[in-house]
Amino acid sequence: MDDYDTIYGSDRGPQITIKEADSRHAQIVLSNCDLAFANALRRIMLAEIPTIAIDIVEIQTNTSVIPDEFLCHRLGMVPLDSTNIDDKLIYTRDCFCDQYCERCSVTLSLHARCTGEDNVTVYARDLVIAEGAQLGSPVINDPEGQGTVICKLRKGQELRLKCIAKKGIAKEHAKWAPTAAVGFEYDPWNKLRHIDYWYEEDAKEEWPKSKYADWEEPPIEGEPFNYDAVPSRFYLDIESAGSLPPDEILQQGIKYLQEKLAAVIETFSNKNETGDGFGDGVRSPGQDYSMGGMGGGGAGYETPYQGGRTPFGGGGFGGATEYGGRLMGGHKCVAAVAMG
Amino acid sequence: MTVRHPGGSASFEILGEDHTLGNALRYIIMKNPEVEFCGYSIPHPSEEKMNIRIQIYPEYWEHTKPYDALMKGLDDLADLCDHITHAFKEARDNFVEPGDNSEQR
Repeated sequence: MDDYDTIYGSDRGPQITIKEADSRHAQIVLSNCDLAFANALRRIMLAEIPTIAIDIVEIQTNTSVIPDEFLCHRLGMVPLDSTNIDDKLIYTRDCFCDQYCERCSVTLSLHARCTGEDNVTVYARDLVIAEGAQLGSPVINDPEGQGTVICKLRKGQELRLKCIAKKGIAKEHAKWAPTAAVGFEYDPWNKLRHIDYWYEEDAKEEWPKSKYADWEEPPIEGEPFNYDAVPSRFYLDIESAGSLPPDEILQQGIKYLQEKLAAVIETFSNKNETGDGFGDGVRSPGQDYSMGGMGGGGAGYETPYQGGRTPFGGGGFGGATEYGGRLMGGHKCVAAVAMG
Repeated sequence: MTVRHPGGSASFEILGEDHTLGNALRYIIMKNPEVEFCGYSIPHPSEEKMNIRIQIYPEYWEHTKPYDALMKGLDDLADLCDHITHAFKEARDNFVEPGDNSEQR
């Protein structure tokens, strides 16, 4: 393909084989690829693919034994259907609404009360999504069709709340992660000796064989060690959390890697009026900072010490997004942001 | 982003990027035969800064600047992504669930 020969010579470049796949997970083999790229793909699938998750909870009644903030956290973790999110929802920070609107959020409501003698369990299926929402319905995969447990209610206890689900990425909070895990393995026979196995008497006897071992040739006894060998086959096991199917996770991963590149290219091109890469931002080592802007819609320069805020709005300590947190003060009802 | 050292070598500082881009970019820039050295570093984990250093072999100084190598690296990485997308779509279309084809998307 195009400019491709210059990178990979005459060979065909990376290849993909799908070993196993269903609606929740996929095992793929990325061959003729390099470690740096395979790892970039893994990292991006873990942390930078947008999904939708409950971000603000307005609680009207909570007489359950679970405190409000605990409940909010649980609600935040419920996976919501996020397929084709890029066509359906924008980030609240990019929206011109005051707080949230249907362009940048999805509203789900929950009302449950225990009236009988037996305890009632509230499940994800009890979240009622606002009419006309294109995505954001709770993911239900169990055979009973109930979804995850949110809480349990005893006689007389009641739950009445409104959830605002927003678009976000797992770099800000893990609730937005599309993957439950991404398995990443290479060199199942440890020919490259990247692993030094601990053993009692014999490592070969004591360690189980890799599940990918049958996909590669076992080492020949007495074979000399190849000092130039580098890993080139990578076994990825994409385990979906439910919000996106594994094939969409992979495709979105590549897409967002390209968006990163595009953002960097654009920023450099804007800075570089002189054509040599030394636009207005040149500085010598040791010289004081004159900060340049940053691409990709981020907030630019922030000191790392003030509140630990990331350009993505979040931050561990306050437990509030830049956009969500601001909203809370204005509400009369008890509110908390669904962040851990 | 800021640039240091004019001439055949330069360091670029990219804000808001991490190892995801850093290592892949470093690798792809090193593939360029005109590049003598490319390395990246994230000096401090709580600062969102990624520094990438590029040195060009002196014989190419005339027509290649580190900036050009960086831009070529970014382009090459984008091409690689295109290729992977293509390879994945092909693999997905050829994939047949054993004993079941309901999962074809």
